[in-house]
Amino acid sequence: MSWQLVVFASLNQAALVKRGLTREGIEVEMQRTPQSLSFTGCSFALRCRQEDVPRVAARCEELSIRPGGVFAETEAERNSQKRAFDVSELEQ
Amino acid sequence: MIYLDNAATSWPKPAGVAEAVVRALREPLGNPGRTHHRAALDAASMVAACREDLAELFHAPNPLRICFTANTTDALHLAIKGALRPGDHAICSAMEHNSVWRPLKALAEMGVELSVAEAGQTGFVHPENVRRLLRPNTRLVVMQHASNVTGTIQAIQEIGAIVRAHGALFLVDAAQSAGSLPIDVVSMSIDLLAFPGHKGLLGPQGTGGLYVGEGVELQLVREGGTGSESLNAEQPSFYPDRLESGTLNVPGIAGLDASVTYLLARGVSSVRKHETGLTVQLLRGLARIPGVTLYGPAVDTPRAAVVSFNLEGWECTALAEELERRAGIASRPGIHCAGLAHRTLGTAAIGTVRLSPGPFTSPEEIETALAVVEAIAREPRDLCPR
Ligand SMILES: Cc1ncc(COP(=O)(O)O)c(C=O)c1O
Repeated sequence: MSWQLVVFASLNQAALVKRGLTREGIEVEMQRTPQSLSFTGCSFALRCRQEDVPRVAARCEELSIRPGGVFAETEAERNSQKRAFDVSELEQ
Repeated sequence: MIYLDNAATSWPKPAGVAEAVVRALREPLGNPGRTHHRAALDAASMVAACREDLAELFHAPNPLRICFTANTTDALHLAIKGALRPGDHAICSAMEHNSVWRPLKALAEMGVELSVAEAGQTGFVHPENVRRLLRPNTRLVVMQHASNVTGTIQAIQEIGAIVRAHGALFLVDAAQSAGSLPIDVVSMSIDLLAFPGHKGLLGPQGTGGLYVGEGVELQLVREGGTGSESLNAEQPSFYPDRLESGTLNVPGIAGLDASVTYLLARGVSSVRKHETGLTVQLLRGLARIPGVTLYGPAVDTPRAAVVSFNLEGWECTALAEELERRAGIASRPGIHCAGLAHRTLGTAAIGTVRLSPGPFTSPEEIETALAVVEAIAREPRDLCPR
């Protein structure tokens, strides 16, 4: 399964996006954005399945949020201690 | 105790509110937005739930535009001082609470032009009284939804339409209406809604909020840590982080979430119906007692659950003490932090006794209160203290 990390400027945004998705039955995990991807300092992210990214994007649009980016979890790092992600396009 | 001071802060709270506060203190609940351990994420989820519930209650399209504050005053402060600059013109009504009147007067000292829309004897502000004060530089119109002295309900929808058409911002002080009267920020053209969590929303003291409409720009009166964009020296541009610097009152918000959940299930219309019944009962009963002077709208005119009166031969403060001494009735005498409103009503020198029932007040409690006032009124005057 392929995972994506959608990064938000604040936990307020991530938490509200997550609530909407949970209501829709979409499982996402709220977590701190890895420091290497936190371009503006502290930020929070939702880890979701690749196929759910469009639903995440739709929920963001409802709340007038522009995520800071969407990153794909790299194959090599998936099972290692350190999670690494590649930048991918936000599917709108 | 017969608690008739819900306009100051509501009591009792719905079942589950105290428990939610205790749970927030007893179980690990972290600082939302600051870190990512389970306790902090749980706190953030609870705060997000409360934002969503409040947005539903006020028909706000985006829960992220609901910012938590310490009370209504704090929210009004962020809105008034955030909206106005020297050279701007502001309008408020002649019924405003000091939480609106004092910041506006302070800004008037600093070059903001200020006009006051007249109110009639019942405290009602005719929308035309607002329209005729509008100027090309009018930036903000502030209006209370309901009076904390007379319960008078203002024509918010009509005034909102006038203000929107003029291109100014409309700030509503919902201290006496949030949770008790229907509020729809969209149909009422409300740009900024300041509300308490601890009155009609039935939550704990120390809670409140400000709704900021999409596209409304406020100058900041407070900057600080938000847990977001921490490398940036400037305050985030997005809401609610823009206005929410520092640690939130998480136990308070936990209680507020429980109370708003209760309100959404019971329905504001059910609360309104209950409170209207009690208010009419109170007004009719007081009107029959010799020596009572009632203030505000006529009995059959809709008003919030706030009743102000005086009894001949009694100072308002002495009467309030006597009500408590005889039957444990909690009321509020005096000027109610609303000198401007009392001047408008002609009661600035004497004040009034205010009785404000709530969603859990019973008709029997109102009957008892009426019987006590009547007994006092019928006693020979020389028995009265002062
Ligand atoms: C009309 C009105 N506005 C503002 C306030 C201030 O509310 P808070 O105590 O929540 O700051 C009150 C409080 O009684 C009020 O009645």
